[in-house]
Amino acid sequence: MSRNVERAASWMYRGVWGVLTRWFRVPQHSPTLPTLPGEQLQSFRPSEGFLRYLKLQFWLTILPAEAFIVIAWSSLTAVRPWIGIWLTPVALVLGTLPQALSYLAIHLRYDTTWYVLSQRSLRIRSGIWTIHEATITFENIQNVTVESGPIERCFGIGNVIIDTAGGSSSSGHSHSKGSSNLHRGEIAGVANASEIRQMILSRLSLSKVAGLGDEESATTASGWTAEHLAALREIRDTLQAGS
Amino acid sequence: MVTILAIKTIRCIIARRMTPFDPSTIERPDRALMKYYIITALLTGPLSILVILPLFFKYETLRYRFDAEGMSMSWGILMRREIYITYRRIQDIHLTRNIIQRWLGLATISIQTASGSSSPEMSVEGILEADALRDFLYTKMRGAREHHEAAPDATGTAPHDEALALLREIRDLLRARHS
Repeated sequence: MSRNVERAASWMYRGVWGVLTRWFRVPQHSPTLPTLPGEQLQSFRPSEGFLRYLKLQFWLTILPAEAFIVIAWSSLTAVRPWIGIWLTPVALVLGTLPQALSYLAIHLRYDTTWYVLSQRSLRIRSGIWTIHEATITFENIQNVTVESGPIERCFGIGNVIIDTAGGSSSSGHSHSKGSSNLHRGEIAGVANASEIRQMILSRLSLSKVAGLGDEESATTASGWTAEHLAALREIRDTLQAGS
Repeated sequence: MVTILAIKTIRCIIARRMTPFDPSTIERPDRALMKYYIITALLTGPLSILVILPLFFKYETLRYRFDAEGMSMSWGILMRREIYITYRRIQDIHLTRNIIQRWLGLATISIQTASGSSSPEMSVEGILEADALRDFLYTKMRGAREHHEAAPDATGTAPHDEALALLREIRDLLRARHS
Protein backbone atom coordinates (compact mmCIF):
# COMPACT_ATOMS: atom_id res chain seq x y z
CA MET A 1 0.00 0.00 0.00
CA SER A 2 2.58 2.48 1.10
CA ARG A 3 4.73 1.48 -1.85
CA ASN A 4 1.86 2.22 -4.21
CA VAL A 5 1.36 5.59 -2.58
CA GLU A 6 5.03 6.29 -2.93
CA ARG A 7 5.02 5.32 -6.57
CA ALA A 8 1.97 7.46 -7.26
CA ALA A 9 3.63 10.36 -5.47
CA SER A 10 6.78 10.00 -7.54
CA TRP A 11 4.72 9.87 -10.74
CA MET A 12 2.85 12.96 -9.71
CA TYR A 13 6.09 14.64 -8.86
CA ARG A 14 7.53 13.75 -12.22
CA GLY A 15 4.44 15.19 -13.85
CA VAL A 16 4.77 18.43 -11.93
CA TRP A 17 8.43 18.56 -12.83
CA GLY A 18 7.59 18.09 -16.49
CA VAL A 19 5.05 20.88 -16.38
CA LEU A 20 7.55 23.15 -14.65
CA THR A 21 10.32 22.53 -17.11
CA ARG A 22 8.08 22.81 -20.15
CA TRP A 23 5.61 25.51 -19.25
CA PHE A 24 7.43 27.49 -16.66
CA ARG A 25 10.79 27.16 -18.37
CA VAL A 26 12.62 25.88 -15.35
CA PRO A 27 16.04 24.81 -16.62
CA GLN A 28 16.57 21.07 -16.45
CA HIS A 29 20.30 20.96 -16.29
CA SER A 30 22.77 22.18 -13.76
CA PRO A 31 24.25 25.59 -14.47
CA THR A 32 27.68 25.78 -16.01
CA LEU A 33 30.51 28.20 -15.84
CA PRO A 34 32.73 29.24 -18.71
CA THR A 35 35.92 27.34 -18.09
CA LEU A 36 39.46 27.57 -19.21
CA PRO A 37 40.92 24.49 -20.85
CA GLY A 38 41.85 21.92 -18.26
CA GLU A 39 39.63 23.44 -15.65
CA GLN A 40 37.30 21.15 -13.79
CA LEU A 41 33.77 21.91 -12.82
CA GLN A 42 32.21 20.52 -9.72
CA SER A 43 28.48 20.77 -9.48
CA PHE A 44 26.45 19.41 -6.64
CA ARG A 45 23.20 19.77 -4.78
CA PRO A 46 22.47 20.10 -1.12
CA SER A 47 22.78 16.82 0.74
CA GLU A 48 19.88 14.48 1.48
CA GLY A 49 19.98 15.65 5.07
CA PHE A 50 18.95 19.10 3.93
CA LEU A 51 15.72 17.69 2.52
CA ARG A 52 14.95 15.92 5.79
CA TYR A 53 15.85 19.06 7.71
CA LEU A 54 13.49 21.17 5.62
CA LYS A 55 10.71 18.64 6.18
CA LEU A 56 11.26 18.59 9.91
CA GLN A 57 11.25 22.36 9.98
CA PHE A 58 8.02 22.32 8.03
CA TRP A 59 6.38 19.86 10.43
CA LEU A 60 7.44 21.85 13.44
CA THR A 61 5.84 24.97 12.03
CA ILE A 62 2.70 23.23 10.75
CA LEU A 63 1.88 21.19 13.86
CA PRO A 64 0.28 24.03 15.85
CA ALA A 65 -1.95 24.87 12.89
CA GLU A 66 -2.93 21.21 12.52
CA ALA A 67 -3.69 20.96 16.21
CA PHE A 68 -5.79 24.09 16.00
CA ILE A 69 -7.83 22.71 13.08
CA VAL A 70 -8.41 19.38 14.84
CA ILE A 71 -9.39 20.99 18.14
CA ALA A 72 -11.71 23.52 16.50
CA TRP A 73 -13.39 20.88 14.37
CA SER A 74 -13.87 18.35 17.20
CA SER A 75 -15.18 20.92 19.64
CA LEU A 76 -17.60 22.20 17.02
CA THR A 77 -18.75 18.64 16.34
CA ALA A 78 -19.25 18.07 20.04
CA VAL A 79 -21.39 21.19 20.41
CA ARG A 80 -23.24 21.21 17.06
CA PRO A 81 -22.86 17.79 15.41
CA TRP A 82 -24.56 18.81 12.15
CA ILE A 83 -22.33 21.76 11.47
CA GLY A 84 -19.35 19.66 12.37
CA ILE A 85 -20.28 16.97 9.86
CA TRP A 86 -20.91 19.54 7.18
CA LEU A 87 -17.54 21.11 7.86
CA THR A 88 -15.62 17.81 7.73
CA PRO A 89 -14.55 18.15 4.07
CA VAL A 90 -13.44 21.71 4.69
CA ALA A 91 -11.38 20.65 7.69
CA LEU A 92 -9.88 17.77 5.74
CA VAL A 93 -8.92 20.02 2.86
CA LEU A 94 -7.50 22.65 5.20
CA GLY A 95 -5.58 19.95 7.03
CA THR A 96 -4.05 18.19 4.04
CA LEU A 97 -3.83 20.43 1.00
CA PRO A 98 -1.36 23.00 2.35
CA GLN A 99 0.85 20.17 3.58
CA ALA A 100 0.89 18.47 0.23
CA LEU A 101 1.67 21.74 -1.51
CA SER A 102 4.42 22.57 0.94
CA TYR A 103 5.93 19.13 0.51
CA LEU A 104 5.92 19.69 -3.19
CA ALA A 105 7.51 23.10 -2.72
CA ILE A 106 10.20 21.65 -0.48
CA HIS A 107 11.05 18.98 -3.01
CA LEU A 108 11.09 21.49 -5.83
CA ARG A 109 13.29 23.82 -3.88
CA TYR A 110 15.66 20.98 -3.20
CA ASP A 111 15.73 19.88 -6.81
CA THR A 112 16.27 23.34 -8.24
CA THR A 113 19.18 24.28 -6.01
CA TRP A 114 22.56 23.84 -7.60
CA TYR A 115 26.06 24.77 -6.59
CA VAL A 116 28.84 24.86 -9.15
CA LEU A 117 32.48 25.35 -8.25
CA SER A 118 35.29 25.90 -10.68
CA GLN A 119 38.95 26.67 -10.07
CA ARG A 120 38.22 30.40 -9.92
CA SER A 121 34.62 30.97 -9.16
CA LEU A 122 31.38 29.60 -7.96
CA ARG A 123 27.85 29.83 -9.17
CA ILE A 124 24.77 29.27 -7.07
CA ARG A 125 21.37 28.69 -8.57
CA SER A 126 18.23 28.64 -6.50
CA GLY A 127 14.54 29.35 -6.77
CA ILE A 128 11.54 28.08 -8.65
CA TRP A 129 9.42 31.05 -9.61
CA THR A 130 12.28 33.48 -9.65
CA ILE A 131 15.42 31.68 -10.60
CA HIS A 132 18.43 33.37 -9.16
CA GLU A 133 21.96 32.65 -10.27
CA ALA A 134 24.81 34.28 -8.45
CA THR A 135 28.35 34.21 -9.79
CA ILE A 136 31.27 35.13 -7.56
CA THR A 137 34.94 34.74 -8.32
CA PHE A 138 37.07 33.53 -5.45
CA GLU A 139 39.30 36.53 -5.81
CA ASN A 140 36.49 38.79 -4.70
CA ILE A 141 35.66 36.82 -1.58
CA GLN A 142 36.34 38.57 1.68
CA ASN A 143 35.41 35.91 4.20
CA VAL A 144 33.91 32.47 4.31
CA THR A 145 31.76 31.38 7.23
CA VAL A 146 30.50 27.94 8.14
CA GLU A 147 27.31 27.86 10.14
CA SER A 148 25.19 25.03 11.41
CA GLY A 149 22.47 25.06 14.01
CA PRO A 150 21.86 22.26 16.51
CA ILE A 151 19.14 20.59 14.44
CA GLU A 152 21.17 20.99 11.29
CA ARG A 153 24.09 19.25 13.01
CA CYS A 154 21.78 16.34 13.85
CA PHE A 155 21.17 15.96 10.14
CA GLY A 156 24.87 16.34 9.45
CA ILE A 157 24.59 19.45 7.33
CA GLY A 158 25.98 22.94 7.43
CA ASN A 159 25.86 26.19 5.50
CA VAL A 160 28.80 27.88 3.87
CA ILE A 161 28.30 31.63 3.67
CA ILE A 162 30.49 33.57 1.31
CA ASP A 163 30.78 37.31 1.64
CA THR A 164 32.21 39.73 -0.84
CA ALA A 165 33.16 43.31 -0.13
CA GLY A 166 30.39 45.83 0.21
CA GLY A 167 27.49 46.72 2.42
CA SER A 168 25.18 44.14 3.78
CA SER A 169 21.46 44.55 4.17
CA SER A 170 20.37 46.98 6.84
CA SER A 171 19.29 44.23 9.22
CA GLY A 172 22.92 43.35 9.71
CA HIS A 173 23.63 39.68 10.21
CA SER A 174 20.29 38.48 8.98
CA HIS A 175 19.50 34.86 8.37
CA SER A 176 16.21 35.34 6.63
CA LYS A 177 16.21 33.59 3.30
CA GLY A 178 14.45 36.44 1.60
CA SER A 179 17.02 39.04 2.51
CA SER A 180 18.20 40.65 -0.66
CA ASN A 181 21.81 40.86 0.29
CA LEU A 182 23.57 40.52 -2.99
CA HIS A 183 27.03 40.64 -1.50
CA ARG A 184 26.59 37.18 -0.15
CA GLY A 185 26.42 33.70 -1.51
CA GLU A 186 25.04 30.86 0.53
CA ILE A 187 25.82 27.22 -0.05
CA ALA A 188 23.07 25.91 2.18
CA GLY A 189 22.64 22.41 3.46
CA VAL A 190 25.76 20.57 2.40
CA ALA A 191 27.25 17.65 4.27
CA ASN A 192 30.88 18.67 3.83
CA ALA A 193 30.61 22.35 4.69
CA SER A 194 34.04 22.71 6.27
CA GLU A 195 35.64 20.84 3.39
CA ILE A 196 34.08 23.25 0.94
CA ARG A 197 35.27 26.14 3.01
CA GLN A 198 38.81 24.76 3.04
CA MET A 199 38.68 24.28 -0.69
CA ILE A 200 37.46 27.82 -1.30
CA LEU A 201 40.08 29.24 1.05
CA SER A 202 42.88 27.27 -0.56
CA ARG A 203 41.84 28.48 -4.00
CA LEU A 204 41.50 31.98 -2.63
CA SER A 205 45.03 31.92 -1.25
CA LEU A 206 46.37 31.12 -4.71
CA SER A 207 45.74 34.68 -5.76
CA LYS A 208 48.09 37.25 -4.38
CA VAL A 209 45.79 40.22 -4.30
CA ALA A 210 44.04 41.63 -1.31
CA GLY A 211 40.53 41.22 -2.52
CA LEU A 212 39.58 44.78 -3.36
CA GLY A 213 40.04 46.17 -6.79
CA ASP A 214 43.82 46.16 -6.93
CA GLU A 215 44.91 45.18 -10.36
CA GLU A 216 48.24 44.42 -11.87
CA SER A 217 49.76 47.75 -10.95
CA ALA A 218 52.57 49.78 -12.46
CA THR A 219 55.10 48.40 -9.98
CA THR A 220 56.27 44.95 -10.88
CA ALA A 221 57.00 42.25 -8.39
CA SER A 222 60.73 42.83 -8.35
CA GLY A 223 60.41 46.50 -7.54
CA TRP A 224 61.72 47.80 -10.85
CA THR A 225 59.38 50.30 -12.35
CA ALA A 226 59.49 51.88 -15.75
CA GLU A 227 61.00 54.96 -14.15
CA HIS A 228 63.90 52.97 -12.69
CA LEU A 229 64.61 51.58 -16.09
CA ALA A 230 64.46 55.00 -17.66
CA ALA A 231 66.96 56.30 -15.13
CA LEU A 232 69.30 53.40 -15.82
CA ARG A 233 69.03 54.00 -19.53
CA GLU A 234 69.92 57.64 -19.01
CA ILE A 235 73.00 56.68 -16.99
CA ARG A 236 74.14 54.31 -19.71
CA ASP A 237 73.56 56.86 -22.40
CA THR A 238 75.52 59.54 -20.57
CA LEU A 239 78.34 57.06 -20.05
CA GLN A 240 78.28 56.12 -23.69
CA ALA A 241 78.34 59.73 -24.69
CA GLY A 242 81.23 60.40 -22.34
CA SER A 243 83.42 57.54 -23.48
CA MET B 1 11.39 27.25 -54.07
CA VAL B 2 10.36 26.02 -50.70
CA THR B 3 13.56 24.07 -50.28
CA ILE B 4 15.63 27.13 -51.17
CA LEU B 5 13.76 29.14 -48.59
CA ALA B 6 14.24 26.43 -46.01
CA ILE B 7 17.95 26.22 -46.76
CA LYS B 8 18.22 29.97 -46.52
CA THR B 9 16.51 30.09 -43.15
CA ILE B 10 18.63 27.22 -41.86
CA ARG B 11 21.75 29.02 -43.05
CA CYS B 12 20.58 32.17 -41.37
CA ILE B 13 20.00 30.32 -38.12
CA ILE B 14 23.37 28.62 -38.33
CA ALA B 15 25.08 31.92 -39.08
CA ARG B 16 23.41 33.48 -36.08
CA ARG B 17 24.49 30.57 -33.95
CA MET B 18 28.00 30.62 -35.26
CA THR B 19 28.70 34.31 -34.84
CA PRO B 20 30.31 34.84 -31.45
CA PHE B 21 28.49 37.02 -29.00
CA ASP B 22 29.54 40.63 -29.36
CA PRO B 23 28.13 42.87 -26.65
CA SER B 24 29.19 46.07 -28.37
CA THR B 25 26.32 45.58 -30.78
CA ILE B 26 23.85 45.91 -27.93
CA GLU B 27 22.54 49.41 -27.66
CA ARG B 28 18.89 49.18 -26.89
CA PRO B 29 16.86 46.73 -24.84
CA ASP B 30 14.82 44.22 -26.75
CA ARG B 31 11.19 44.89 -27.49
CA ALA B 32 10.23 42.05 -25.18
CA LEU B 33 11.19 44.29 -22.30
CA MET B 34 8.28 46.60 -23.05
CA LYS B 35 5.97 43.58 -23.04
CA TYR B 36 7.39 42.58 -19.71
CA TYR B 37 6.85 46.07 -18.34
CA ILE B 38 3.27 46.08 -19.59
CA ILE B 39 2.56 42.74 -17.95
CA THR B 40 4.07 43.79 -14.64
CA ALA B 41 2.09 47.01 -14.76
CA LEU B 42 -1.13 45.15 -15.49
CA LEU B 43 -0.47 42.90 -12.52
CA THR B 44 -0.66 45.89 -10.21
CA GLY B 45 -4.32 46.28 -11.18
CA PRO B 46 -5.80 49.75 -10.81
CA LEU B 47 -2.39 51.34 -10.44
CA SER B 48 -1.39 50.22 -13.94
CA ILE B 49 -1.55 53.68 -15.48
CA LEU B 50 0.66 55.15 -12.81
CA VAL B 51 3.14 52.30 -13.03
CA ILE B 52 3.32 52.04 -16.79
CA LEU B 53 4.36 55.64 -17.46
CA PRO B 54 7.78 55.61 -15.79
CA LEU B 55 8.43 52.13 -17.13
CA PHE B 56 7.53 53.25 -20.64
CA PHE B 57 9.87 56.21 -20.42
CA LYS B 58 12.58 54.00 -19.01
CA TYR B 59 12.20 51.60 -21.90
CA GLU B 60 12.20 54.40 -24.44
CA THR B 61 15.30 56.09 -23.10
CA LEU B 62 17.31 53.06 -22.01
CA ARG B 63 20.67 52.83 -23.77
CA TYR B 64 23.51 50.44 -23.27
CA ARG B 65 27.09 50.82 -24.35
CA PHE B 66 29.74 48.16 -24.01
CA ASP B 67 33.32 49.12 -24.73
CA ALA B 68 36.65 47.46 -24.14
CA GLU B 69 36.98 48.58 -20.53
CA GLY B 70 33.51 48.81 -19.18
CA MET B 71 29.86 49.24 -19.77
CA SER B 72 27.47 52.09 -19.37
CA MET B 73 23.76 52.31 -19.08
CA SER B 74 21.65 55.44 -19.19
CA TRP B 75 18.00 56.22 -18.95
CA GLY B 76 15.56 58.83 -17.76
CA ILE B 77 13.71 61.85 -19.08
CA LEU B 78 13.45 64.24 -16.17
CA MET B 79 16.03 62.64 -13.95
CA ARG B 80 18.72 61.41 -16.24
CA ARG B 81 21.02 58.72 -14.95
CA GLU B 82 24.10 57.26 -16.48
CA ILE B 83 26.12 54.54 -14.83
CA TYR B 84 29.51 53.40 -15.92
CA ILE B 85 31.13 50.31 -14.51
CA THR B 86 34.53 49.00 -15.46
CA TYR B 87 34.49 45.26 -15.95
CA ARG B 88 37.47 44.75 -13.68
CA ARG B 89 35.59 46.19 -10.71
CA ILE B 90 32.70 43.81 -10.93
CA GLN B 91 32.40 41.72 -7.81
CA ASP B 92 29.30 39.63 -8.21
CA ILE B 93 27.04 38.97 -11.12
CA HIS B 94 23.50 37.93 -10.38
CA LEU B 95 21.17 36.68 -13.01
CA THR B 96 17.52 36.51 -12.04
CA ARG B 97 14.64 35.35 -14.10
CA ASN B 98 11.11 35.31 -12.86
CA ILE B 99 8.43 33.36 -14.56
CA ILE B 100 7.23 36.13 -16.86
CA GLN B 101 10.78 36.91 -17.86
CA ARG B 102 11.37 33.25 -18.64
CA TRP B 103 8.36 33.19 -20.89
CA LEU B 104 9.57 36.24 -22.75
CA GLY B 105 13.15 35.04 -22.82
CA LEU B 106 14.39 37.92 -20.73
CA ALA B 107 16.53 38.18 -17.63
CA THR B 108 17.82 40.75 -15.20
CA ILE B 109 21.56 40.84 -14.76
CA SER B 110 22.45 42.63 -11.56
CA ILE B 111 26.03 43.74 -11.36
CA GLN B 112 27.67 44.67 -8.13
CA THR B 113 30.85 46.43 -7.21
CA ALA B 114 32.22 46.80 -3.72
CA SER B 115 30.06 49.74 -2.79
CA GLY B 116 28.15 50.23 0.39
CA SER B 117 24.68 49.44 -0.78
CA SER B 118 23.20 46.02 -0.94
CA SER B 119 21.08 46.91 -3.94
CA PRO B 120 22.78 46.30 -7.25
CA GLU B 121 24.73 49.07 -8.92
CA MET B 122 23.43 48.17 -12.31
CA SER B 123 20.51 46.07 -13.41
CA VAL B 124 20.76 45.19 -17.05
CA GLU B 125 17.33 44.35 -18.34
CA GLY B 126 15.85 43.42 -21.64
CA ILE B 127 18.67 41.52 -23.24
CA LEU B 128 17.81 38.29 -24.97
CA GLU B 129 21.30 36.81 -24.88
CA ALA B 130 21.49 37.21 -21.13
CA ASP B 131 23.49 34.06 -20.58
CA ALA B 132 26.05 35.02 -23.17
CA LEU B 133 26.31 38.53 -21.75
CA ARG B 134 26.69 37.16 -18.25
CA ASP B 135 29.46 34.83 -19.34
CA PHE B 136 31.10 37.66 -21.23
CA LEU B 137 31.06 39.80 -18.10
CA TYR B 138 32.31 36.85 -16.12
CA THR B 139 35.35 36.44 -18.30
CA LYS B 140 36.08 40.14 -17.90
CA MET B 141 35.62 40.40 -14.17
CA ARG B 142 38.31 40.11 -11.57
CA GLY B 143 39.69 36.71 -10.87
CA ALA B 144 38.16 34.94 -13.81
CA ARG B 145 41.38 34.66 -15.76
CA GLU B 146 44.85 33.34 -15.32
CA HIS B 147 46.62 36.67 -15.13
CA HIS B 148 47.19 36.80 -11.40
CA GLU B 149 49.26 33.67 -11.32
CA ALA B 150 50.96 34.31 -14.62
CA ALA B 151 51.23 38.07 -14.65
CA PRO B 152 53.70 38.65 -11.78
CA ASP B 153 56.13 36.25 -13.43
CA ALA B 154 55.69 37.57 -16.91
CA THR B 155 55.76 41.26 -16.11
CA GLY B 156 58.13 40.71 -13.21
CA THR B 157 60.89 39.02 -15.12
CA ALA B 158 60.93 41.02 -18.31
CA PRO B 159 61.79 44.45 -16.83
CA HIS B 160 64.05 42.78 -14.33
CA ASP B 161 66.06 41.26 -17.14
CA GLU B 162 66.15 44.53 -18.96
CA ALA B 163 67.39 46.23 -15.82
CA LEU B 164 70.04 43.56 -15.41
CA ALA B 165 71.16 44.01 -18.99
CA LEU B 166 71.33 47.75 -18.53
CA LEU B 167 73.37 47.42 -15.35
CA ARG B 168 75.79 45.07 -17.07
CA GLU B 169 76.17 47.50 -19.93
CA ILE B 170 76.89 50.32 -17.51
CA ARG B 171 79.42 48.15 -15.70
CA ASP B 172 81.15 47.31 -18.93
CA LEU B 173 81.22 50.94 -19.98
CA LEU B 174 82.75 51.95 -16.66
CA ARG B 175 85.29 49.15 -16.90
CA ALA B 176 86.25 50.20 -20.41
CA ARG B 177 86.71 53.75 -19.24
CA HIS B 178 88.88 52.82 -16.27
CA SER B 179 91.08 50.31 -18.00
